[in-house]
Amino acid sequence: MKILKQVLIFLLVLSMLILDTGCSPSTKQDTKNQLTIGIAFETLQTEYWVASYKLFQSECSDNKIKMLEAVANGDANRQFEQIRNFISRKVNGIIVVPKDGNTVIPMIKAANKAGIPIVCYNRPPSKSDAKSVSVIADNYKLTYETVNFLISKALQKKSKIKAMILVGDLGDINAIERRNGFEDAVSKFKDNIEIVARIPTEWNNEKAKAGIANALQAHPDVDLIFTSSDLHLPAIASSLKEIGRYKKSSEDGHVILGSFDGDATAYKMILDGYLDAVGVQDVFFEVKSAVKAIMDLNENKECDEIIRDPGLVVTQENIETMKSKMWGAILVNK
Amino acid sequence: MIQVSSGNTHILRLITGFLKSGSFIFWITPSLFVFLSIITPGFFSVNNILNILSSSLPLMILCTGQTFVLITGGIDLSIMSIVALTSIVGSKAITLDQGWLCNSDYSVLIGIIIMLLCGAICGFLNGIIVAFIQGPPFIVTLSTMILFSGIAIWSTMSSNIYNLPPAFCQIGSSLGLSLIFTILIIIMANTILQRTPLGKWLYAVGSNIQTSFISGVPIKPILVFTYAFSGFCAACASILLTGKLETGSPVLGERMLLDVIGATVIAGISLYGGRGKITWAIFGVLLFTIIDNSLNLLNFSFFSIMITKGIIIFIAAFLDSMRTKLIKDLS
Repeated sequence: MKILKQVLIFLLVLSMLILDTGCSPSTKQDTKNQLTIGIAFETLQTEYWVASYKLFQSECSDNKIKMLEAVANGDANRQFEQIRNFISRKVNGIIVVPKDGNTVIPMIKAANKAGIPIVCYNRPPSKSDAKSVSVIADNYKLTYETVNFLISKALQKKSKIKAMILVGDLGDINAIERRNGFEDAVSKFKDNIEIVARIPTEWNNEKAKAGIANALQAHPDVDLIFTSSDLHLPAIASSLKEIGRYKKSSEDGHVILGSFDGDATAYKMILDGYLDAVGVQDVFFEVKSAVKAIMDLNENKECDEIIRDPGLVVTQENIETMKSKMWGAILVNK
Repeated sequence: MIQVSSGNTHILRLITGFLKSGSFIFWITPSLFVFLSIITPGFFSVNNILNILSSSLPLMILCTGQTFVLITGGIDLSIMSIVALTSIVGSKAITLDQGWLCNSDYSVLIGIIIMLLCGAICGFLNGIIVAFIQGPPFIVTLSTMILFSGIAIWSTMSSNIYNLPPAFCQIGSSLGLSLIFTILIIIMANTILQRTPLGKWLYAVGSNIQTSFISGVPIKPILVFTYAFSGFCAACASILLTGKLETGSPVLGERMLLDVIGATVIAGISLYGGRGKITWAIFGVLLFTIIDNSLNLLNFSFFSIMITKGIIIFIAAFLDSMRTKLIKDLS
């Protein structure tokens, strides 16, 4: 107890000294009129998030915005602490890539309470009275169009098709929308298509690999595979190789492959003829829109609650004309 | 034979005393706090200090339970899985989306009791295996970590549980309530450890299990209690974390184990057993949290923060090992 008392007195005296001499650095902006944005990523484990992170850096730099960064490593509680840190540093805006739509709500409420504009990047919050702007890809429409293309290509070869889907983390609205887009596209051809496996991945490559390997053991004659993220393309390729079905679209036995995101792996696989189509998120549009929303809200301008990225469907047939808009292609060619 | 002069003996006594006391954590934490207040923009502000406090409360509770286990010379790797499992069980009971207790007037209270019981039972299971089957704590708790986590994920099919009652969420989101809740647990744990025969037995078991057995210390019940208490503390932390995020999650806090082990090791609680106090653990958590917070404020990248924390834990574990060896040699 004696030592605790000594420590408390020591702490108190030094804290008072700090306050008295004013040597604690100010939290206010060092440069007048320079905006500071805090960007909180849930993870940086996929190419899409890394590409977004780099684009945020360059976008902030172009607009002379100071960028503070935080990565929660998949932990929603840690992300909440990071958002609180941003708030205590009195940033002018927060861009958050939430783990899911619900855990972000207390974070939005905290930002609302502090009067700091907040943008949810790529994953929208669930319905609540918390106010935010969301920049999101039209996951449903983009998946629907991509799968439609894949089905029409598959039906040119066979009238009865066996299909599989790799589903993302169903706590993530993006995964749900992509699954719904797939299911609705397939349901139009229910007489021709049988879904033989719905493989849960939780956005985890090891789980995806185990799931696809098991599914291919049971259904080696599958005709069409759609993955909800490019993240799992290497796992699919490796599993198809194991059963001798990793073939180019020009070869016999080719499995029609579709994906979502548009990363560098997808670009290379399209060029090589293994991937048939990919729904590409326009990361440039999304990053620019998120930063612009924060700037607009700081100038008290009106801003849409949801900003939708229409995205684009890139196929082997249109890759040459579309590659300038595909972020994965741009990364490769850089 | 080496002759030791009286001056050298005095120095040796001072060194041994310092090493045994563990009081360095009481000086390092406030000193670092003051130092960081001077060099880190925004660190010494009311908001940030409240942030640090709010972030450290669940960790303090987890470290309290872990301290008990470490004192007996064991380790509990399953605590974060217990956090996740109790979060799911409690949320399933009280969620307003057709929870088992959603129609009860006392749903929140009963839900909390269920969570605490669930945590204690999980810990009890660990304790039984460690004490009676004499499984190595590391392997036993590693196995149950996978088991509890698997049950949590399987029972929810990996999805979160939402729409929890506002009264429950308030416990985690209100700093005042969380603080009172944490202080009560800390006082209870400290009283057990410092003022009861049970506390003395815990140290005795951790210092030398064979001597304790010969002296008539009831080793097996003590070990069972220790792990059950650790599970109970995990459930308490789960109440705060679930309430704070307003979500029951099967992967809640899955990345916090490093922080729990790190904070207790930094605090000087020996991984070899027999040494440690709740107050050390509390200061260890504060030290760990302010390091994390200041690195964030200094705009260190996520990767640099991970590397820095890893290095700090390594140094602390290394010092603990050196200290244990030195104390043995000196005595």
